[in-house]
Amino acid sequence: MPAERASRASTSPAPAIPLARWADRQLKAMARAHASAALSALDGAAIMGERASNGGFSIAGRISAGPGGSRLMPTRDGGWFALTLIREVDRELLPALFGNAEIDPSDWNAIEAAAARRDCIELVARGRLLGLPVASADELPVSQPVQVMTRGPRRERSPGHRPLVVDLSAIWAGPLAGHLLWQAGMEVVKVESPSRPDLIRRDDPDTFDRINQGKASVLVDFTCAEQKAALVALIRRADVVIESSRPRALLQLGIDADQLVRDVPGLVWLSVTGHGALGEAAQWVGIGNDCGVAGGLSRAMADLTGEIGYVGDAIADPLTGITAAREGLAAYRSGAAQRIGLSMSAIVSMALAEERAHDRAAVDDELHAWGCSVGSAFRHVAPRPLQAPVHPPGADNESYLPC
Amino acid sequence: MKPGTRLKSAACDTEVMVIRAAEGLIECGGSPMEEAKPTQAAPLAADFSAGTLMGKRYVDADGRYELLCVKPGKGSLSVDGIALVVKDAKPLPASD
Repeated sequence: MPAERASRASTSPAPAIPLARWADRQLKAMARAHASAALSALDGAAIMGERASNGGFSIAGRISAGPGGSRLMPTRDGGWFALTLIREVDRELLPALFGNAEIDPSDWNAIEAAAARRDCIELVARGRLLGLPVASADELPVSQPVQVMTRGPRRERSPGHRPLVVDLSAIWAGPLAGHLLWQAGMEVVKVESPSRPDLIRRDDPDTFDRINQGKASVLVDFTCAEQKAALVALIRRADVVIESSRPRALLQLGIDADQLVRDVPGLVWLSVTGHGALGEAAQWVGIGNDCGVAGGLSRAMADLTGEIGYVGDAIADPLTGITAAREGLAAYRSGAAQRIGLSMSAIVSMALAEERAHDRAAVDDELHAWGCSVGSAFRHVAPRPLQAPVHPPGADNESYLPC
Repeated sequence: MKPGTRLKSAACDTEVMVIRAAEGLIECGGSPMEEAKPTQAAPLAADFSAGTLMGKRYVDADGRYELLCVKPGKGSLSVDGIALVVKDAKPLPASD
């Protein structure tokens, strides 16, 4: 609806996405460190805002932008509980979340009323046990934003070596990290399974194409032992792996990240998680909008405006994608095999703290403006021209998965 | 049994959260599950020793019971002596 977007934009100017300058500084630092003109040409505000701009999103306060799958709800104890419901099967867990067999899981009003009868900390604890993406506006991330979990042997690479990236991730954060590594000149293979494809390809093709262009595409049937073995063989000759699975999911597929990092010289393994890759938090589910809340961004905005709401669009995703690429490139250049855990909620918290240390007045002004702009459209971002073809799913199986 | 109730196995380490339940007796490893861990451990019945997997949802054939494993163990789940089975994996979200 470009006409509607234009008319809204003329009545209220679209605010800048807070932390976009932080994102831009990371991109520029990465570009300098790796002498990459392609990375240098990217703009932090464009990377953070392109999905919302592509989709014509508006700022919706306590409802997340765009599809609106995440909501901030007041709780009995005066807290704010964020719940993301974007998988229908998750709604089946709502009676257990609220201890109420009668709740209508399709009715947000009923969900909000149930949340108002509980304490926030109790809802977050039970939601995490149930595997629901939940957050409290007042929690502190339990994990380090970036944590080296396992180390392995070094690899000396010849000067002309073109690194290979195996990208097992989906949605936004992980694929964006893969895209930035592709921009930095690496060869990237996107891996999907026929039963669990990356649904962004179907649901948001504009964004999918921008962050997956130029990647080879393979489909792996995880029920087939030969194909799984071929994937492990591909990983063993890779320089970087990106994944965003919960730990048990990979192990159940027969992929042991820690063992591979100990075995394969120079292998850099990026584990993108909601709340950390170690301990109990590794089991928690986190998605871009609720992780923004868990990282303290909604509370920071409420402290400035008196009104709580979501900041940006799934803001933890692009911040994490950029951080993962930066860490991945640095680790690759070090030559040492390592598995790096990235926590989306802790990365949001880190970005806010660093931005406030850098220029507190500027970021607080942006948060304030964001909180006062409910109803206005996201700032328009000129669509990045595609630089390479988007490969259809499975187009490159023969080249990468001989079996 | 109220949704959200947490039950512990008497025969192993398994813990579940009740998603949905009727009036039957929920068991693990062949023994009834309780909200409190019993002081006396029950023996693990050979017929119910396939183990539980963290994060899996277990259902009966009629869809009257659904239990989420929040702590794995050696026993397997049943209701009134009839084994529960693993529900299919969740699809990935389309967007957020």
